[in-house]
Amino acid sequence: MFLAVLTPTDSREVSPDAALVRSLLRQDVNAFEQLYDRHSRAVYSLVLRILQHASTAEEVVQDVFLQLWRNASRYDASRGPFLPWLLTLARNRALDQLRLKSERQRRREDQAEEPPAVFSAPDYESALDEKRQAERVRSLMNLLNPRQRRAIELAYFEGLSHSEIAESLQEPLGTVKSWIRNGLMRLKEGLQATP
Amino acid sequence: MSTQDQYRELVEAYALGSLDAAVQAAMEEHLRSGCQECAQALEEARWLVTRLAYLAPDATPSDILKGRLMQTARAETVSIRPKSRTPIWLWAAAAAVLVFALYNAREAYVLREKIASLQKTTAATMQDREKLRSQLQEAKLQAMIMTDPKSQTFALPASEKDWPQMKAMWHDEYGLCVMGHEIPMPKSNRTLELWLMPKTPGSKPMPLMTVRPNQDGSLYVVVAHPPEDMHNTQWLAITEEPAGGSSQPTGAPMWMGSIS
Repeated sequence: MFLAVLTPTDSREVSPDAALVRSLLRQDVNAFEQLYDRHSRAVYSLVLRILQHASTAEEVVQDVFLQLWRNASRYDASRGPFLPWLLTLARNRALDQLRLKSERQRRREDQAEEPPAVFSAPDYESALDEKRQAERVRSLMNLLNPRQRRAIELAYFEGLSHSEIAESLQEPLGTVKSWIRNGLMRLKEGLQATP
Repeated sequence: MSTQDQYRELVEAYALGSLDAAVQAAMEEHLRSGCQECAQALEEARWLVTRLAYLAPDATPSDILKGRLMQTARAETVSIRPKSRTPIWLWAAAAAVLVFALYNAREAYVLREKIASLQKTTAATMQDREKLRSQLQEAKLQAMIMTDPKSQTFALPASEKDWPQMKAMWHDEYGLCVMGHEIPMPKSNRTLELWLMPKTPGSKPMPLMTVRPNQDGSLYVVVAHPPEDMHNTQWLAITEEPAGGSSQPTGAPMWMGSIS
């Protein structure tokens, strides 16, 4: 289920998610429940991976879905698919929770009420089978040097900056920058390749 | 390399949120200047970054969370439902109903009390049921871990010689179970917390869960989905922490065992 929901739908059609979010504007609790059932595992999995603490993760997931319930109009379905937007919102909230005292966190707190941007899916993603897509992301990441993969995970799941990652891994800053950019480029190239 | 190229190379890290503050500010300024190439690349980079969510182990939130959210949503729906335009005849009917309701005020009050009491009882019963279901699942999982020959056993020796040794059993598929007997009870404002240290260099201890021993001193902890598998785990440890748990250990391990 977690894997299924990350896959984009054809942008020419109204996706089920977009229709459900539209129903939220009419305070439709059933639509809210359906959205929760479709995406709560994906959101919870991500938040739990970031926070490593089940009860705190549930609090953050609750905040995310309540924000969706109360401010559904902030998602613009014409600009891109729903779940990446929701996951970005959840990641921002979880990282806020994780790094309460840091400068970067304070900067994020200032923007806490600002929803993340909605972004469209590239064409190459639309053609992929959802389960294979997940497997490919994992296998492509497994092809990276373990420390390169760790650098990307520290950035994504712990919200660390290049300098913080360099300090954490005891590697030169330039190495960390290259690892992250090259790693993401290899992931992109792998996803672009014909399945 | 041109300045434009330099900015273009930062787009992925910007989408990931890993740029240092000064560079991030410069990148934001560049994007505000209206660079279409970077804006387009950022759109794709943001999508790419969300793919990293696939790396998170699959996990399921509790049913209680869903119940809490739906209850909140329903309550808010009732409170903001817009008023409808009411015809005059309906007001007259409402007035009649009101008179009737006043006449039967005492009965209505009793009825409300009964309904409230029933709702309370129902909610408590559902909570008990959920708790029992959860305990049953945990007990089943524990039994599977303890009886399956594929489970591996690790000792967690105590730091004090008067304390008994604890034991961990780990199954690749079913999860991790930590158990012990005659475990000293922490003070009421303290709790025990289980930690996992990944083998990955630079890692910090990961909190798994907080727990207090049972009244008889026995302690059982089941972690269905540890954040790392046993082959990537260096050690397990238990520390005493303030009630509610800590994000990082605040004291020395009371029990600690190598996973190898």
